[in-house]
Amino acid sequence: MTATAPLVSERLCGQLQQGITTLSWSADGEFLAIASAGGELLLLDFRAGCEELLRSDRDSSLNAIGFSADGQFLMAVGQASELLLWELGETGVRPMALDPIPLDAGWLDAAAWQPRGLLLAVAAGRQVRLWDGAVRAWRPECLDMPGTVHALAWSCDGRRLAASCHGELALWQPEAAPAAMPLRAPTGSAGLVLSFSPIGDLLACGQMDRSLLLWPEAGQGRPWQFSGFPAKVRALAWSDQAGRLAPALAVASGDTVVLWQQRNQSQQGWQPEPLLWHQQRVHALAFAPDSNLLASASADGTVGLWDSRGRLRQPLEGEGQGFQALAWRPDGRHLAAGGDQGRWWLWPVEVPSRERQRRSGGAGFG
Amino acid sequence: MAFTSAIPAADRLPVTVLTGYLGAGKTTLLNRILTHEHGLKVAVIVNEFGEVGIDNQLVVDADEEIFEMNNGCICCTVRGDLIRIIGNLMKRRDRFDHLVIETTGLADPAPVIQTFFVDDDLRDELKLDAVVTLVDLKHVLLHWEAEEVQEQLAFADVLLLNKADLVDESERLGIERRIRAINPMARLLTTHNADAPMDQILGVDAFELERALSLDQGFLLEEHAHEHDDAVGSLALVEERPMDLDRLGRWLSDLVAKRGPDLFRMKGIIQLKGEDNRYVFQSVHMLLDGDFDRPWKPAERRCTQFVIIGRDLDPEGLRDGFSACVA
Repeated sequence: MTATAPLVSERLCGQLQQGITTLSWSADGEFLAIASAGGELLLLDFRAGCEELLRSDRDSSLNAIGFSADGQFLMAVGQASELLLWELGETGVRPMALDPIPLDAGWLDAAAWQPRGLLLAVAAGRQVRLWDGAVRAWRPECLDMPGTVHALAWSCDGRRLAASCHGELALWQPEAAPAAMPLRAPTGSAGLVLSFSPIGDLLACGQMDRSLLLWPEAGQGRPWQFSGFPAKVRALAWSDQAGRLAPALAVASGDTVVLWQQRNQSQQGWQPEPLLWHQQRVHALAFAPDSNLLASASADGTVGLWDSRGRLRQPLEGEGQGFQALAWRPDGRHLAAGGDQGRWWLWPVEVPSRERQRRSGGAGFG
Repeated sequence: MAFTSAIPAADRLPVTVLTGYLGAGKTTLLNRILTHEHGLKVAVIVNEFGEVGIDNQLVVDADEEIFEMNNGCICCTVRGDLIRIIGNLMKRRDRFDHLVIETTGLADPAPVIQTFFVDDDLRDELKLDAVVTLVDLKHVLLHWEAEEVQEQLAFADVLLLNKADLVDESERLGIERRIRAINPMARLLTTHNADAPMDQILGVDAFELERALSLDQGFLLEEHAHEHDDAVGSLALVEERPMDLDRLGRWLSDLVAKRGPDLFRMKGIIQLKGEDNRYVFQSVHMLLDGDFDRPWKPAERRCTQFVIIGRDLDPEGLRDGFSACVA
């Protein structure tokens, strides 16, 4: 393959009634769920080669969706302040909807399944609640926050849950025995987005005050703070490839994407490289699994594919729609994206071999 | 700090902020806005105690949450819940073309207003159309000393003097006079059942500079400080001689730096030396915005008119500072 060969040469696409708010793949990559601002929820089943509209236009937005790690459940939350759950059966069988669970906590926009577990964390106003898929009920304990919870993230081992509100970040180990008090750190602003690194367990928090907080040890100790972003820090993505020290971190603020690499252990050891190309706000970032290829989705109607040196490898066009959401299939070879007028795309991506490191298992010929 | 966005006003969604003390008739007005045949699709954000009885997916609850952006400075407070909820609502933008935000009866309107100028996203996606304040003519004097009442009057672009059928003419005029002392710039509408014409409430464009002083009713013609006993008051300044923009800019920056928390709204049309175009100016607390406007018309009286609404104003000091800006 030459350096100029296109990464993407075909696509699959479809259309919902309202703008796509979020997309999510099942861990085995056989299901893709797509949600819209009108409350539609579409499930694509690749093994069976069919699609199922689990929920039609309700005029009430869905904002967070996700599959449990074992693929048993699909969840969705949004404007109606309810937790919606489906139980997935065999491929090709229509998932069974459980009764909606009312939360009465206003518009819900953050919820996340535990990696390697069955706990679902839901931000419900000033609380984080846990729904336990093993017993299909709420856990009695919850995490109380001083303000409305803006973001949630689980550490990759599923042991720690981070939550942010205006002024505070809390770190909770809901399954620790004996039970431990959550750690709480002042942040000085509202954390809008949280992400743990897949390697090294760093925690990044993008803030409303145009800064980025970075904890070297999973949210403990003193964070580094990087200020001076052009706008609030809206999206974060960690690479799963080992860097010299920490893996690469991509940060979106306004129309700018900044790629951070750690050179040494000091605050000055983090080197930012701005990726300047988008014309409007960047809404979503995602590294392809098992590679350093970065995708950025912008309201300007483009998705950029960037290599590890920060070079734009290929722009993808949105047919006049701004992009709002991105999700890589776990195989790292298919990228799904959602537009603000309801169109969704699925692109097979030829990840350049130099961006793809061999897994330790040696599956280098896949 | 200028507060206009680089995005043209026509591309941004208009927002009306609805304030008024408890029982002033906000819910009645909201219901009228939602059911009125004005051809606009309106989304409404109500506070958690709101009781709009209309089943509509574009009526959204918000839980008032103040974010202090900068060490508790009143001028840097915004409504965090609005940033989050409006961010979610804007993904449905094709479903509505006007946004109305109801505040609680006890709310200070300033954080709501500042949210639209301080937050990156809201500044580029929305334009504040007007602050509409409802006044309960029957009961307003009972709560007159309440800070919230005076602030809601001071920040208003449109004042609805509601429940006019429950007071007699002389009572109404007395209240109107006291309100004018606090806010000489707002458009005054007298209503019975919050039944004001929709085009006087929605689509007012009061925060767009070119409309900055379009609401005045001739009150600016003479310089005056209103006689009153209230902590919140206003001062109108008139100057026939042309002004110097640099001096004026320095004076205003200095003024808001020192007195920002007490200065609620300022608006002005400035005659600059050597300039054929009017310069228009407005502010909310420490947020300042000014730009050149149309040329002076030949028949127009060329003079600078400047209105300040605030708490514990010092008329002498302000007048001296203003006069020192003459070119």
